[in-house]
Amino acid sequence: MTKIDIFSGFLGAGKTTLIKKLINEAYKGEKLVLIENEFGEIGIDGGFMQDAGIEVNEMNSGCICCSLVGDFEKSLEKVLDEFNPDRILIEPSGVGKLSDVIKAVKGVTSDKVILNSYCVVADAKKCKMYMKNFGEFYNDQIENASCIILSHTASLSEDKLHAAVELIREHNKDAQIVTTDWAELDGSAILAVMENVDTLKADIEELEHEHHHHHHEHGEECTCGCHDHEHHHEHHHEHGEHCDCHEHHHEHDEHCTCGCHDHEHHHHHEHGEECTCGCHDHEHHHHHADEVFSSWGKETVRTYTEDEIKNILNEFNSVSYGVILRAKGIVKGSDGWIHFDYVPGEADVRLGSSSTIGRICVIGSKINEEKIAELFKA
Amino acid sequence: MREIPVYLFLGFLESGKTKFIQDTLCDERFNNGEKTLLVVCEEGIEEYDPSLFSGSNVTVKVIDDEEELTSKTLSKFQKETNCERVIIEYNGMWQVNSLLSDMPKGFVLVQCMMFADATTFINYNQNMRNQTVDKLRVCELVVFNRMDKAIDKMELHKIVRGVSRRADIAYEYPDGTVEYDDIEDPLPFDIEAPVIKIEDTDYALWYRDLLEETDKYNGKTVKFKGICAYDNRMPNDTFVAGRHIMTCCIDDVEYSPIVCICKNKHNIKSRDWVMVTGTIKVEYCKFYQGKGPVIHIEETAITSAPAQELATFY
Repeated sequence: MTKIDIFSGFLGAGKTTLIKKLINEAYKGEKLVLIENEFGEIGIDGGFMQDAGIEVNEMNSGCICCSLVGDFEKSLEKVLDEFNPDRILIEPSGVGKLSDVIKAVKGVTSDKVILNSYCVVADAKKCKMYMKNFGEFYNDQIENASCIILSHTASLSEDKLHAAVELIREHNKDAQIVTTDWAELDGSAILAVMENVDTLKADIEELEHEHHHHHHEHGEECTCGCHDHEHHHEHHHEHGEHCDCHEHHHEHDEHCTCGCHDHEHHHHHEHGEECTCGCHDHEHHHHHADEVFSSWGKETVRTYTEDEIKNILNEFNSVSYGVILRAKGIVKGSDGWIHFDYVPGEADVRLGSSSTIGRICVIGSKINEEKIAELFKA
Repeated sequence: MREIPVYLFLGFLESGKTKFIQDTLCDERFNNGEKTLLVVCEEGIEEYDPSLFSGSNVTVKVIDDEEELTSKTLSKFQKETNCERVIIEYNGMWQVNSLLSDMPKGFVLVQCMMFADATTFINYNQNMRNQTVDKLRVCELVVFNRMDKAIDKMELHKIVRGVSRRADIAYEYPDGTVEYDDIEDPLPFDIEAPVIKIEDTDYALWYRDLLEETDKYNGKTVKFKGICAYDNRMPNDTFVAGRHIMTCCIDDVEYSPIVCICKNKHNIKSRDWVMVTGTIKVEYCKFYQGKGPVIHIEETAITSAPAQELATFY
């Protein structure tokens, strides 16, 4: 199966630079064909391509101002037949419509090819100006992209970057957005976002899944849902070890400090007992349906300090935010990226690797999303 | 009806239009309180600061949408402001014809300048040639700013000359110095020769020169190869000969012919390739709906098509 990645974006946005980065860091070992429909600013030089074993198929002989060359589909099919590559990278004209390119790719009837990603590279500093003055073709690129990779973000203030993301969101609610300076990121991290593997939604689902997983496998897990507990629990079963917080699972009467354990526990074993705490409800429903259990996720370009995050997580213990059972995130810090994990009464904040954009996920019951967003200034 | 002079400023986003207009309106020699309407069709990073204008009679109006740019809108602005002149900062992505084809009566284009960032222009031109050609065609002066010694003037010069022999070219360096382009472009044919022979490859260039400086060809004898058109609405001594010229891309190919009149009835048919020899007279011709170059035929000879049928500016 040949994957097709489309890289649209206006002239000077950095498409060529991004493609080069991905070739070096993310597409290693793959047989690639690059189809160019634009005269690049820097131009991917032949030597580089040859060294990397990449076929370059230029479609720009003749006229390229008239968006897409008519025989695009044919030439794509020819490339497939001739090279049978793992991946085809398409760099369409910067003033063309992305929707036209997508349509043309989808017009290829071969079942050996899959449209893998269609991203737009947008200059964070200029996208507002371009959107206002360029009109249709530029907005078409933003609106139709599955992934929007912002360039030149390093020299942009946090507020301006935030404004750029908000503006883009007005045109495209669902696309993945990369806001982190490329120099901080490995190409494979960018590819994961392009391929929809690394997304906020996936983060939330993972968090929710951990939750489900727990219950269905062990049937007597804590709604805090954190792995640590699960591990302790397994240990307990396998080795008869005792841990402070899970003993009750087996002894059926012990109470743990996290405030939801016991209810859950009772619930599991007593089948139908109600309790007043939010997590019991949630827990109960969670076994049958997800309606009370809720998750909140947000992407952010804000920079935080570790203390700020610690304070925010500390605030979570207050009931005014709802019953927060679990929170997880990666946000930009003043000295690197801050990774955090929260379960009631326990917050873990540490420095870690860069993310393509800051992300915060919160799971709980009756959570006050507005207040949480406010707390994060996200 | 009084005439309203229009000053038109063209160029891509970030090409320096706003800055130039701002500076001009801050100059007493241009702005001494005249009632001026400034129509802004593009809002980039630079913004106007009317408090610095040397005259305070400037009204700024914004047009966001190309479709709003009509004689109706402009007339409305003119009436509202009672302006005596109009400055237009055009949108770099709009075709000039949107404006020129629908200007209010009395509006007269008196000056048209184009600005370009020398560091991005070559790339923009390669990728948006329809836009650059459109602007270069009409402007009288092209200013390449942010010029750098490392940028080849000849390359910029050739892009301009490929479209217009008329436009003056200026190069502006970041330190403020301005250099005027004095590169000469001799025409590839000798217009002083008894018979001006136009090579197959030079038709586009010659045709453009003929339209731009028609009078200098009055009375001259030319010889060129063209594809002919004739139909029975024409007198039987008349036909047209010319070539299909491509300026930018396949979309803008245009048949660009010249009216030929023979001494007697001719038997030339449409789509015949003919080597035409004749003397140009600039005179009234109904096919031009006015004055234009008419070739009084001395000789025609049926011939074969040139190696490249489309005529281009190379």
